[in-house]
Amino acid sequence: MKRTEMRGMVETEIKKTSTEFEIREIKDDEVEKAAELVARLKKLNGEFDPLLKTEEKVEADSLRILKERIHDKDFVILVALSGSKVVGVVKAVLRDRIYYEPRKEGAIIEFYIMPEFRRGNLGRDLLVAIESMLRKKGAQLITAEFPSQNEIARRFYTKLGFRSLTNVFAKAS
Amino acid sequence: MSSRSSKNKSGKGKRTGQGRSSLTAGKTPKSADASRLALLYSRYYEGKMQTIPKVPITSLNDFSIWYTPGVAAVSLAVARNQDLSFEYTNRWNNICILTDGSRVLGLGDIGPAGSLPVMEGKSLIYKFLGGVDAIPLPISAHEPSQMIDLAAFIQPAFGAIHLEDISSPKCFEILDSLREKLEIPVWHDDQQGTAGVTLAALLNSLILTNRKLDDARIVLFGAGAANIASARLMVAAGVPAGNLIVVDSKGILFPGREDMDHMMLSNKWKYELALTTNKERLSGNVDVAARGADALVAASTPGPNVLAPSTLRNMNKNAILFALSNPVPEIWPDAAKKAGVRIVATGRSDFPNQVNNSLLFPSIMRGVLDVRSRAIPDEAIVVAAQELAKYTRDEGTLSDEHILPTMMDLEIYPIVASAVGEKCVKMGLARKTLGRSQIEEIARRVIERSRKMVLSLQESHLIEPLPRDKRG
Repeated sequence: MKRTEMRGMVETEIKKTSTEFEIREIKDDEVEKAAELVARLKKLNGEFDPLLKTEEKVEADSLRILKERIHDKDFVILVALSGSKVVGVVKAVLRDRIYYEPRKEGAIIEFYIMPEFRRGNLGRDLLVAIESMLRKKGAQLITAEFPSQNEIARRFYTKLGFRSLTNVFAKAS
Repeated sequence: MSSRSSKNKSGKGKRTGQGRSSLTAGKTPKSADASRLALLYSRYYEGKMQTIPKVPITSLNDFSIWYTPGVAAVSLAVARNQDLSFEYTNRWNNICILTDGSRVLGLGDIGPAGSLPVMEGKSLIYKFLGGVDAIPLPISAHEPSQMIDLAAFIQPAFGAIHLEDISSPKCFEILDSLREKLEIPVWHDDQQGTAGVTLAALLNSLILTNRKLDDARIVLFGAGAANIASARLMVAAGVPAGNLIVVDSKGILFPGREDMDHMMLSNKWKYELALTTNKERLSGNVDVAARGADALVAASTPGPNVLAPSTLRNMNKNAILFALSNPVPEIWPDAAKKAGVRIVATGRSDFPNQVNNSLLFPSIMRGVLDVRSRAIPDEAIVVAAQELAKYTRDEGTLSDEHILPTMMDLEIYPIVASAVGEKCVKMGLARKTLGRSQIEEIARRVIERSRKMVLSLQESHLIEPLPRDKRG
């Protein structure tokens, strides 16, 4: 599905976008490449905090988990393609917020774009796309998780209207 | 040493010889000898630089003019218009050589105190070749933010700031930040000086091998301060970034490399190059990069076996190699030539084609100071490199073994200074609007006066003759 079709389907307004990328739900044969990107994300997280240092088997784990999630209805996984090449991935999960309202949360838990394809509007487009998909699946609140020290992510989400909601503090035992 | 014949552009700045008659190339002492003599002489003279007055003192009464109460009027005028400090004080010719001693040439991180003799030496070259009054200023602060703050705090005293021997990648942050912040030129010799002379050498090498800047394939081996700056300057000079291939200790830079995110956070300058260079998206080691390359600029680790002949054999015909590591180049020139390289340059004076920062920094600084420039833009460094290359061509001495002038070609300094000054004027950076011939005349006069002063002090024995080396 091309971007234009996606727009129609999710009935969302996408502002100016680059036409060079296709954004859509991941296909089975793209899982391996997407898992490589997820592994890169986990390693990037490790750059921000030693408590996020990745294990040796991060690639294998990324692939295993992604294969499990791809057909899970509570998960939304989108890829961005440049030609046939997977250059971006975003994964979100639907959560039920017991105690709070609104109850339905769409939480973006993994988001990675290959360095060469950053700085355009691809990040924003991927976010807009997954936000629409999540809302369509009932999410009333969109959240995003990233390491506290990741100022790039902080700036990105702030610029797009997000704000800090909860904090996770850590202390190694 | 060759003499430049009647090619004075302006026709105004007369050829004076500039001390040429009293300056000889002399013999370069062997390394061990140089070390022994340097220790001996440094102790004997108790340092290499001092400050001396530039106004007459006929009686103690003169101090009522040079100092209080007369000086108050000058101070008030400068306080009202700070740009007058370039007219009423020596600020126009004062620079400081700022370092933390974290990467001293050939010595590494020896700290500020250990770097002082080197900075004094740099100051001496500045005075003699560029007529610049350069104050050595090693500091015991190492954080980029501290160094940036310090440079900003001392700005009112200086016409420019010269950064020296600061480790990479913090040197990039310091230079970029200061270039943005300060109202005076900031120069980092290990980046811009090396890049400028490398560019000059490249320009002439390309001419000798009938190549064009915009379609040569150039490999940069080593991604430290020198080569990152060289890559940036080459792009500013018109090399398409995609034609550059940068190789660091882990291999060729390309946007998909595994450590890109680490690079983004630890060395954004290298990261930029990884994103913009290497349009073919090559990956692998230097052998892959060198295959079919026209030129290879190595500024990596001291040799001689860092580059293998087999790597060079796969380069294009009429290959160009700059092996710039000191004290030993990545491969010895004769070995490179045996491997088929046509033009070889190194950082050393005992081989042909020395890529030596001293060919540029005194003249670039002279040029920006004489027009009271607010900055040294890349464009001015490109112009300086072009002028340096052109000098060799104009002299008729361009050959595979002579792609650059040498420090003995004293004429290059006012000529390059005027080209730099003119560029700053054209770009609207100068506080003083002068034409090229005027700048050349001023530069020539300032440099000549400085040299004459040194020679005169020597003749009068206020600078004593070298002590007899009892062991020699």
